[in-house]
Amino acid sequence: VADDFAFELMWIADPAVTSPVIATFSKIEGFREFSERLESLRETEAGFAELRVDEQYRRAGGVAGIQVAGEHGLTIVLGEPYPQILYWFAMPFTTPVPWEAVVWYDGEEGRPFFKDHPVGAGPFQVTHFDKRSRIVLSRNPNWYGALHPEWRAPGAVYPAEGEADDEAHGRLDPRYVGQTLPFLDRIEYRIEKEQIPTFNKFLQGYYDAAGVIHESFDKVIHEGGLSPDMEALGMKLEKAVDPDIYYIGFNMNDPVVGAPAGARGRALRQAMSLAIDVVEYNRVFSNGRGVPAQSPIPPGIFGYEPDYENPYRQTDLVRARALLAEAGYPDGIDPATGKPLRLSFDLGDTSTSGRLRFQFLVDSWGRLGLDVEIAATNYNKFRQKVEEGAYQIFMWGWIADYPDPENFLFLLIGTMAQSNSGGPNTANYDSPEFNERFLAMKDLPNGSERLAIIREIKDILARDRPWIELFHRESYALYHAWMQNVKPAGLSLPAAKYVDLDPALRARLRREWNQPIRWPAWALLAVATVIVVPGVVTFLRERQ
Amino acid sequence: VLAYIVRRTVYGFGVVLGVLLLLFALFFLYADPTEMARRAVGEKAPPEVLEQWIVNHGYDKPSLWNAEDPTDTLLWEHYRRMLTFDFGRSDADDSPIIDRIREGMVPSLAVTAPIFTFGVLIGVAASLFVAYFRETYIDRMGVVLCVLGMSVSILLYIIGGQFVIGKLLRWFPISGFDPSPAVAARFLALPVLVGLVEGIGGSVRFYRTVFIEETSRDYVRTARAKGCGDGRIMAHHVLRNAMIPILTRVLVTIPFLFTGSLLLESFFGVPGLGSMMVDAIHGNDFATLRAMVYIGALLFILAQIVTDVAYTLVDPRVRLE
Repeated sequence: VADDFAFELMWIADPAVTSPVIATFSKIEGFREFSERLESLRETEAGFAELRVDEQYRRAGGVAGIQVAGEHGLTIVLGEPYPQILYWFAMPFTTPVPWEAVVWYDGEEGRPFFKDHPVGAGPFQVTHFDKRSRIVLSRNPNWYGALHPEWRAPGAVYPAEGEADDEAHGRLDPRYVGQTLPFLDRIEYRIEKEQIPTFNKFLQGYYDAAGVIHESFDKVIHEGGLSPDMEALGMKLEKAVDPDIYYIGFNMNDPVVGAPAGARGRALRQAMSLAIDVVEYNRVFSNGRGVPAQSPIPPGIFGYEPDYENPYRQTDLVRARALLAEAGYPDGIDPATGKPLRLSFDLGDTSTSGRLRFQFLVDSWGRLGLDVEIAATNYNKFRQKVEEGAYQIFMWGWIADYPDPENFLFLLIGTMAQSNSGGPNTANYDSPEFNERFLAMKDLPNGSERLAIIREIKDILARDRPWIELFHRESYALYHAWMQNVKPAGLSLPAAKYVDLDPALRARLRREWNQPIRWPAWALLAVATVIVVPGVVTFLRERQ
Repeated sequence: VLAYIVRRTVYGFGVVLGVLLLLFALFFLYADPTEMARRAVGEKAPPEVLEQWIVNHGYDKPSLWNAEDPTDTLLWEHYRRMLTFDFGRSDADDSPIIDRIREGMVPSLAVTAPIFTFGVLIGVAASLFVAYFRETYIDRMGVVLCVLGMSVSILLYIIGGQFVIGKLLRWFPISGFDPSPAVAARFLALPVLVGLVEGIGGSVRFYRTVFIEETSRDYVRTARAKGCGDGRIMAHHVLRNAMIPILTRVLVTIPFLFTGSLLLESFFGVPGLGSMMVDAIHGNDFATLRAMVYIGALLFILAQIVTDVAYTLVDPRVRLE
């Protein structure tokens, strides 16, 4: 097993694989060097590239920081402190992979690529994989939980305790507690392109679960809960706040809105932040779904405090106007030109729905007298503008890779600034005050010391306003009455093994809900006959 | 005839080369490989991963001219691949394009072939019927219905059909596809019905015009004077003489049966070539798009040649020189 873990890590390092997480795992000692050695050997040594891939890795000397000791011993040495790497080991990237499978599934001679034919060790196995229409998982008879139920391994038995609301949601039913997982024999995922037919099929009982689409929102949701119609169908609604943040950012290198403008720029950013009513925004554009954000850290991540109120993330036009005057733009007028201050809102989305959303924000700033222009281009053009530093205000989002505040706050660290490192700090925010606290917080365990620093960080960000935090998305999921133990899983992916369903109830309701109504067909036929026959008869009689 | 076919084929080949050049200009000179790479490997991927992707997919070559090795250019590679039907792998997910085309053709044909066959049969029969009853209220009502049918967008038929027939009346499944022949018909019924309703207006109007023009000809009067029955005149004389315009219309649509229907397949969840095109457009999968456009053009040119030859079969007066 240890060998398979080591192989998987070396596979991430392999330049031919183009793994998106190569930079993250480069914190392992010798990771980059291995990658470079492998590449140069493939280019220079004759016949090397034709060797079996595990043999290539062995000859390239492996990664210095990954040491295998026997069947179950694996030591990983990091070149720098990075406690968050543990989270990366909970992601699919580091699933142990047998080299034999990688070598065999190479896309040649009719064999699929390994990525289209994954070989792993979970409670389910992929038995049908057509990523365009249908993916089927079946119970894996060789899973350790199935082979050794007597071990009572924690991941192989239904748990007896859970989170605060699990009991109330019926997720700790004594019929399930202590039972061997998984409960389902087969899971089918259907890939559909259009939302409306998909949702209608869910309503007919042909799908077990669904999200709530915009078009049917008012029909399905009533005052934050299920509508009476849906309740009558026995449906369950599960809501969850996603671990993400959507925000407006300022390019801090910009002479007007950024750091070079000093206190004036800061007051301008604060004023613009106070002008945006995100509750209204969510009401208009997402049926009221979404939690207004007060800091970059979303609910469920350490450091999020529901009571925290960012003094600049309330809607207060009076204060905003005062700040704008303080910034030297009374009523939004730029004294240099005598006209409203002109700013550019740079976006990588030219869709109609996007334009409506951006216009909402521009109108909010317009109420302060500012003249913000939407500069929407396609996404790649926008990326290019970002790379060249030719942007003023932008809008972006970030979804957590792992549940740690570091994964959000690093987006504002000076060393990650887009302008000097090409990193994800698109705001180019570089505050020594913030940087110092971020570095102190980064590697601390969750606790009062860490929380105290995070609170300081929040205050710094509230004041400096490199971002206007907008919202954390909220997702609604619907389940039919026959589904059991369903729970919005957030970042944790493997929740399917806990789910159960009642196939008899499903078959009965499906039948009840889908009795065809045939009389309109007969009626239509009758009407057509009544209209056409007299005409035919008259015509023929006249011809006679 | 053989000489004509050879000549047309040579012309056709010239057109194919031209189409390929246009495709090259569209897909290689305009497309930005970095954007394609980002779509394929993900938003968070660092620049070196994007570069690696571009190298792996061969988009790093010079586009038109390479002094060291003239064959090592995008243009050369493009022509070589297309002309030898070596379409390579998809830009979006690395799957071999030719396999996907092969897999997608059956579901596409399962939808388009019945629409085509029933469309022609019903269209010809219905237009013979209204042409026979011309100038009566049946004919006028037929015209009104046809124009009405033609003026409504297919999107409305799809969504309306799914809502009324699938959801309210529950005659057929709303969408979906099953390759096993026993169940396939249930799933195909609604998309085929929608396709028929959408197409029937136009074809009835067209065939009706053709038939009415034929019925006013001298040979029809002669036939009638000889004592020929109405049924025999319509089915035997008029239909046969109207074959040329019918053939032109019918044969030219055949290539598009293979490439599928973008909207029908997307909305009804049919995993055919039409929905594959939609995926490719959304996913910046230019390799797949290029192959599909090329195949479409090729089939179209082929259909043109077949149509010309078919004229000689239905009308002995036509000679191909």
